[in-house]
Amino acid sequence: MIARIANILALSTSIKRIALVAADGAALPTAAAGAHVLLHIPGPRRVWKNAYSLVSAPDERSKYEIIVRRVENSRGGSAWLHDHAAIGQDIEISLPANLFPIARTAQKHLLLSAGIGITPFLAYLPVLQAGAENFEWHHCCKQADAPAFAALLPSGRDITLHTSRNTLDLEKLLGRQKLNTHLYVCGPAEFMDVAVATAQKLGWPAAKIHKESFGGATGGAPFTVKLAKSNIMVEVGPEESLLEALEAAGLNPPCLCRGGACGECELPVLEGVPEHHDHFLSAQKRAANSAIMTCVSRAKTILVLDF
Amino acid sequence: MNLIIKPPETFRGDFSMRNSDEAILRFPFPFPEDNYMYAVNMEPHVRGGPTAAYDAVFDLDEHYLGDMQDRALVLNDDPLRCQVLPHMADAEWDTLELLMENLAQDYPHLFSLTKNGDEWRWVNRPMNIDDTFNFGRADTLPYPPFEYITRQVQGDFTIQDQRDDNLFMDGGMVTSQADWSLNFDLGMAFHEWHGPVPVAHEIGVFDRALKYLLRLQYGKPVRRLNWTLTVNPRLDTSPENYPLWGPDKATVTPENVGTKMCLRVELQTLTRLPRSNAILFGIRGYLIRLEELVRVKKWGARLHRVIRDLHPEIAEYKGMPRYRQMIVDYLAPFDDGAVLNSGTAPEQSSL
Amino acid sequence: MIKSRPIYEPFRIDPAGRAHLIVTDLSALPEDIGELEFSNIELWVVHVVAPGIQAQDSAPRAFRAVADLLATLAVRLRREQVGFRLYAVGTEPFLWDVHNAARAAGLGKGEILLTHAGSLKRRVYCTHCKTMNEDVTTSIVKCRACNANLFVRDHFSRRLAAFMGVAVDAEVPGEIPAAEVLYP
Repeated sequence: MIARIANILALSTSIKRIALVAADGAALPTAAAGAHVLLHIPGPRRVWKNAYSLVSAPDERSKYEIIVRRVENSRGGSAWLHDHAAIGQDIEISLPANLFPIARTAQKHLLLSAGIGITPFLAYLPVLQAGAENFEWHHCCKQADAPAFAALLPSGRDITLHTSRNTLDLEKLLGRQKLNTHLYVCGPAEFMDVAVATAQKLGWPAAKIHKESFGGATGGAPFTVKLAKSNIMVEVGPEESLLEALEAAGLNPPCLCRGGACGECELPVLEGVPEHHDHFLSAQKRAANSAIMTCVSRAKTILVLDF
Repeated sequence: MNLIIKPPETFRGDFSMRNSDEAILRFPFPFPEDNYMYAVNMEPHVRGGPTAAYDAVFDLDEHYLGDMQDRALVLNDDPLRCQVLPHMADAEWDTLELLMENLAQDYPHLFSLTKNGDEWRWVNRPMNIDDTFNFGRADTLPYPPFEYITRQVQGDFTIQDQRDDNLFMDGGMVTSQADWSLNFDLGMAFHEWHGPVPVAHEIGVFDRALKYLLRLQYGKPVRRLNWTLTVNPRLDTSPENYPLWGPDKATVTPENVGTKMCLRVELQTLTRLPRSNAILFGIRGYLIRLEELVRVKKWGARLHRVIRDLHPEIAEYKGMPRYRQMIVDYLAPFDDGAVLNSGTAPEQSSL
Repeated sequence: MIKSRPIYEPFRIDPAGRAHLIVTDLSALPEDIGELEFSNIELWVVHVVAPGIQAQDSAPRAFRAVADLLATLAVRLRREQVGFRLYAVGTEPFLWDVHNAARAAGLGKGEILLTHAGSLKRRVYCTHCKTMNEDVTTSIVKCRACNANLFVRDHFSRRLAAFMGVAVDAEVPGEIPAAEVLYP
């Protein structure tokens, strides 16, 4: 659907809050806490599709709000949103999808976030508060970003902002949770890995750990892909993902989260050795080299895809 | 849509229910080929399809008032035919919003929905309902939200919670089911509530269906058809009431099979709900007597072939053995053996 | 075998757990259960003794009856932390009553492990009158409340912790096949 940029607010030198309305003025589809939209960002040579969590309240149908961090060495998407997006511009967005919903059967929600990972929890907050749900939220950020994040977080004894690693004792926090607690983690990969590993060490089962990550796609060595059905060759450059290269070639492969987690972008591999960076494929499929998640994975050899 | 609703006929007792010519021609006939096997036969649910039954997002037909009256009788008798587990409150409101918005859009001469902030006014003319309530506040409605709206829409509905890479049937309004119990199946996971279905598990149908549904996207609902046979156009063929309708099966004779035997088709829709991330499963049932169905030439011939050649385990599961041969014999004269086109459309516009 | 009928796995302690509690409706764990090498494992059994006799301080802890064990379990689970593992060993109705208590306290997949031991007897739900019929060992049972002749199906509800019973002679009343002892 076509959206229109209705407002842009700088929260700091690297973080902006952008409000989107429907270009035709209609009510937007209802989105849930944890939902994201894909923005089709127009670059000079190609369109980037970047995923952003909605931070607006779920029942807000007059506008969607996202928060965009300008990524250092950005390959384009966030840089364009910071440097070129302007109020009144039209931009295509996907319908909201929710890969990070609040667990309805939990009786307490423990939220851990860092940096831009704050975004889905900003949407969780009004829902948890309206339902008088039991929750505890710890957000970590760099000292320099503290004023921007402090302004986003309401005060309350259930919400703590940490500007140094030392004030968050993960083992103690995760070790004292009652049985009816679920854990939600969102932030940079390294932060999430540490949090999840600590939880697992303390005996948290996988079913109680919920993770959201975007932008898992980093660059890497260039490689070549042959598409068996479309009968074309595509070169994947060092700064783009396989999915982006296919899109730049004019194709429309499936995708949803663009972070290697949901499974939507999986394509069958006919020949070649993929380099897996996703969180979705089973160990067997990984070892068999029979499939690849195009949004985050790359290849060590020429790949032939059944597409 | 020019829907004309009949005064209520009965789906029990004297079974006064009859299909008009229009109702027959719009029937969602389920067999595109001469033989039938289980498949994950899902397609996008869009307005439009082989017959008029696909024109609305939630289809209503001439039997609307009769269906809703039968539902009310079932619920009065057994309130546990509508249950929602406590953690599904958001899904209840999602369902109410979805059904009200679509009914008002597809049948503007019958329903209207006016919103003023969170104060909503809902008018259902055929059922003489005019209620104003606050969206999100259950105490402003005469029934809990899911029950409230499903008492006004034809077909059964269940709500599936998505968690642990699985779907759990955590709520439902089930008064016109083909022999399964909501109270027993409530809370079951996908493979569990499908447990009793034969053959399909071995060929992996449910594994693929589950994987597909876990990635069902908002704004992209899907649909499929299911079918069985029912003696008399009875909506409530629940296991709870099996002692009431079970004896009907032994009353089918070659003389009355055309009148008594009904093809029962479920147009099933699957819709991702926005706030709860749950999936709404709509099971919209349609009944047609064999003697009504054979007035569409293609359908009479095709049904003959499907029933005649049906896999025995499937026939057994669908409760057919007692009268299968009678059905085949009744339909045989309507099948001249000629090649039939694929597809389910009637290929005639009058009877 | 019908997909809704639970299949139980052999007993094993989950090394990822921090604390472990085994509960059984038998008076002792079956001998073939295997070695329990971990030091932080508790065991609760049901040992029917005369009323008034306390067996609390022994290890394993012995309860007078299943109801007593389940009531105490509910309270205990409210105090535990994530990392806890609960194991139930015993007859099928007991396993699922424990499962329901565990779910109510917030335990889920990976935290509750069930192992069947002892009798195959079933709890059967009468679909027609909603009454539970306990200790059923036969393929057909008469409902204790409404007298319906129920065929004991393999379709199982974890929520109700019971198998489904449906009238076996609904189509031709009185035509009842002979019952077999299938679940001794």
